[in-house]
Amino acid sequence: MRKLFILVLTIVPFLVSCETALFEEDLATTDANANFEYLWNECNEKYSYFELKGIDWDAVKTEYSAMLFEDMTQDSLFNVLGGMLTELRDDHTNLISNFNISFFGTQYLGQDNYYGRLIEDNYLAQSFYISGPFAHDFLDDGQIGYVRFASFPGTVDDTNLDFVLDRYKDTKGLILDLRENGGGAVSDIFKILSRFVEEKTLTHYSRIKNGPGRNDFSEAEPVYVSPSNGIRYTNKVIMLIDRGTYSAGSFTALATKALPNIVLIGDTTGGGLGLPNGGQLPNGWTYRFSITQALTLDKRPDFEDGVPPDIEVLFDFNDLTRDEVLDRAILELQ
Amino acid sequence: MKNVTITLICVLFVPLIGFSQNKDSALSKKELRKNRPTYRGISLLGLGVGSFRDFATSPLIYSGLSLSSSRFQIAIDKHRETEWGSSLTIGLFGNSFNDHTSSSIVISPAIYYSELYELRQLSGDKLNVKVGGLLSITSNIRINEGLLNNATGFELIPTLFGSIKGTLDVSRKTERTKKFLFFKYKLDKRKKSLALRLNTGLVNSSYRNGYVYSGQSFLLNDPQLFDDYQFKVFSGFRMSSSLDYTLYSRKTTNAVQISYVWDAYKTGGNLDKFEMAQHALRFTLLFNTK
Repeated sequence: MRKLFILVLTIVPFLVSCETALFEEDLATTDANANFEYLWNECNEKYSYFELKGIDWDAVKTEYSAMLFEDMTQDSLFNVLGGMLTELRDDHTNLISNFNISFFGTQYLGQDNYYGRLIEDNYLAQSFYISGPFAHDFLDDGQIGYVRFASFPGTVDDTNLDFVLDRYKDTKGLILDLRENGGGAVSDIFKILSRFVEEKTLTHYSRIKNGPGRNDFSEAEPVYVSPSNGIRYTNKVIMLIDRGTYSAGSFTALATKALPNIVLIGDTTGGGLGLPNGGQLPNGWTYRFSITQALTLDKRPDFEDGVPPDIEVLFDFNDLTRDEVLDRAILELQ
Repeated sequence: MKNVTITLICVLFVPLIGFSQNKDSALSKKELRKNRPTYRGISLLGLGVGSFRDFATSPLIYSGLSLSSSRFQIAIDKHRETEWGSSLTIGLFGNSFNDHTSSSIVISPAIYYSELYELRQLSGDKLNVKVGGLLSITSNIRINEGLLNNATGFELIPTLFGSIKGTLDVSRKTERTKKFLFFKYKLDKRKKSLALRLNTGLVNSSYRNGYVYSGQSFLLNDPQLFDDYQFKVFSGFRMSSSLDYTLYSRKTTNAVQISYVWDAYKTGGNLDKFEMAQHALRFTLLFNTK
């Protein structure tokens, strides 16, 4: 047993020294410059929309690095780093600490275009149905179906969709309300759209950053939607959108441009067509920013600034008995 | 660092000496293989400490504790040793810095196969030295909710090692009487061994995420498990070792083994390196099957 102890006492320090040599130095630091440099560089090499947004990231570095000073508080540093990220004008870009989260706020690029209580009070019966993530009922004397979809929770399933679409199968048209839908699970997009196509349809393209250069991207990959084996709706569909329609909501709006039976009504979406990538800074804060580009059928990334509606309609807050956007959709289907 | 380099060079070249020697056994290879004692080893609760860092998502080092179980089969005599097995390690690692705490659950299944041959030049009655190779495939599934879309990480680390193992016979050949305070006790004859094995990666491979860590397959409506992953045959470095103290039963041919196992590796390249090191203490039951 004594030999065992001697061996352990000899070997363990040797192995620990090997381990120390193997690992690079510990980079944990609260130093403002180190954290600034780390975040700037991560964005510099991986963010996907510099060119489209015309952002001079080097100039941003010059501007914001000048705001750093010795012994600055964590709050001050957060404001500098968070401010630098908001220059990307992208709500998939956040700095996250345990005392604040930075954001840009694409919904503020346009007016508020949705008032949920108004619809419940003036358009729907009190007994409207809730099927999973869908709230829905008949409008216009049963001739139109209205479906409110407030987020993409990742829980859309065939049972929800079969029930909803079966209920409105005899209507003239369906209104899918995606206003103020901030996004969520991408899988829900394709489950929903698969109910509105009759054949495999190319909807858009996507590409991902694959190198440190600002235009280092993979080949544009096609995105298809295939028809579901469940109940499909073949009549006209109106999708309501606004600046609060973001991320997965914008992806859905983008895809509808390739689907002739779906019309977009409302305001331009908030964009958010890049997949957000999460990471951590040397001081423990976390961040995220977009690393992919969704491209139109002619392979342009332009809709990151928002997917425009086919028919632009804005809500009038002077009359809180009518939803002008919804009224226009009903008119379109009559 | 110089010592480490010298050790590595020695470990790399020692297997060549082992393979070049002559065999002059009276028994045929087939008879030797047939008569080689075989054990099944089961370790249900290994305790470990470790740390890792994935530069793809964080420059911070995560440290923590792990539990492991392993199962293996080993056919062993003084001339040759064949071992294959698997292990499963589950750990909780964390980093707490600047009033920010983040944690990661790491699940690491691994399989391995090893062949060792006696190095007669260095072997004797008390010490048996074997050299050979070890093929090991370790994977890590890492879950860190704080990393948002990058919450789940995965890497595969296949490694071909060059190995050297020294086994010292520390059996008690005669009965002994000892005294502790006022108590006298007797130590019976006992077969025991102490073995140290060192493995150095000769071919260090990795199967890791691509440039930006996340893949885009689910954006393409074509979800794939290892989206945008890249296999690199020569990438990084790995070392591992084990120190085994084996105590054979007086009444049966079974044994128990206490092991200290160390494993450390890093992937290569300039971008998004992954580093991991684990120390574990394992208690193993060895059942003689032949």
